[in-house]
Amino acid sequence: MNINDIVKTLDGTLVAGGDSDRTVGTVVANDLMSDVLLNDGDDILLLTSLASDQAIRTANIVGAMCVVVHNAKPLPQTMCQVADTLGIPLVSSPLSKYESCVRIHAFLKAEAGA
Amino acid sequence: MMEYKPTILSGGESRSDDQIMAAHERKHVRRVSGPGLPGSDGQGEPLVIMELLQRLRVKDVMRDHDIISVVRTDTMHFAQNLMKRNHISGVPVVEGKRLFGIVSINDIIMALEGGWISDPCQKHMATNLVVLEEDMPLAFALKYFENYIFGRFPVLNKERDLVGIVSQRDVTRVMMRELTKELTRLEGGAGHAAPEGATTEKSEGALPYYSMRQFVVVRNDLQNAGKAANEIKKMLGDAGVEKKIIRRVAVAAYELEINICIHSLGGSITFILDGHKATVIAKDKGPGIKDVEWALRDGTSTANDWIRSMGFGAGMGLSNSKRVADFFDIKSTVPTGTTVLCEFNLPEKK
Repeated sequence: MNINDIVKTLDGTLVAGGDSDRTVGTVVANDLMSDVLLNDGDDILLLTSLASDQAIRTANIVGAMCVVVHNAKPLPQTMCQVADTLGIPLVSSPLSKYESCVRIHAFLKAEAGA
Repeated sequence: MMEYKPTILSGGESRSDDQIMAAHERKHVRRVSGPGLPGSDGQGEPLVIMELLQRLRVKDVMRDHDIISVVRTDTMHFAQNLMKRNHISGVPVVEGKRLFGIVSINDIIMALEGGWISDPCQKHMATNLVVLEEDMPLAFALKYFENYIFGRFPVLNKERDLVGIVSQRDVTRVMMRELTKELTRLEGGAGHAAPEGATTEKSEGALPYYSMRQFVVVRNDLQNAGKAANEIKKMLGDAGVEKKIIRRVAVAAYELEINICIHSLGGSITFILDGHKATVIAKDKGPGIKDVEWALRDGTSTANDWIRSMGFGAGMGLSNSKRVADFFDIKSTVPTGTTVLCEFNLPEKK
């Protein structure tokens, strides 16, 4: 699952950070950044409702491959700037976090079975 | 830290005679205190300056060649002319490498007034001398200049030989040079100066010997919190450190940076990288933690709703930092503040 797949699956829009060819290794759905930092997985796809610079900075610390913000939350300009600076793709999705988890799970399951 | 006490020589002999010390202090000493910048308690000064004052030794700033001196049998008049010609306010009385005394401008004035300007120096030179040792940190030299009225100090080696003279001008000159180097490095983001004789050049497969950066963390400035950790991560990446270790260091730095931002009155994150270890030091200005053991437990936090709404305050910061570090230490005093140390071993590259 790459950035294009994430955008399509979550009806989202890539708003900052640019495209990349990295693929999802681990999915983390969380709004508490310390919990995100606890995760040891690689190539994390971070699903969050936290629309702040810190979501991007946290993603950078754990080497995340993409951040998705849900419920079409307005994204602060600074958040987009940080995403651009650190080169972390930032996707805005109208879906709830739960719905995103369901769709991504289905996609990865299908991908694994393919 | 090594303790140094003022060394007083009398008549060319090395002594630590309490009586001489007391007499000398009555005459010359204003106040004696520990190392640091003059007029300060050594706390709260920019780390880059404190580090310089500890790293540089007296021998790094002293003048060790062409020392202008007289012998005991030279006249006070000869010493006067020597000082006049060389624009100096004191001259050591030396024979071989042994220091016998100092003739100061004050001694010359007294000699002119008293009519003994033709007497040999040994009759009127000061023999109770405060000297510096060549291996003392520069911080001690600065304190000496603050605590005593002298404008220059003789410098002795371990064998008690005179090896140089250090004046305030010498200190200023070297400090200006070193600070310029430091600022250039810091502005260029290239880290801190290496110790004397060390290399900061990065060779294939080798970490830089020593680099250091300090980041200021402002209270409640969540907009900028995390920048230090990201910069540290970048530095480690540039140094070629293994990715898994980078992540652990970055996690600790980030958690500690956020902690300073949301729980303290502000502080700093200091990052030190050498060939064997990466160190993160988080230091804040208070209010301190009443119960450190409680604060170290997972899920305990004093964060308010605002902090939680920003994605923090889960009470995992300290425990997360401890979890990822090879060595963790925390010291906290109410209301002075908290210092957290996290060390990470860096395996040698093959």
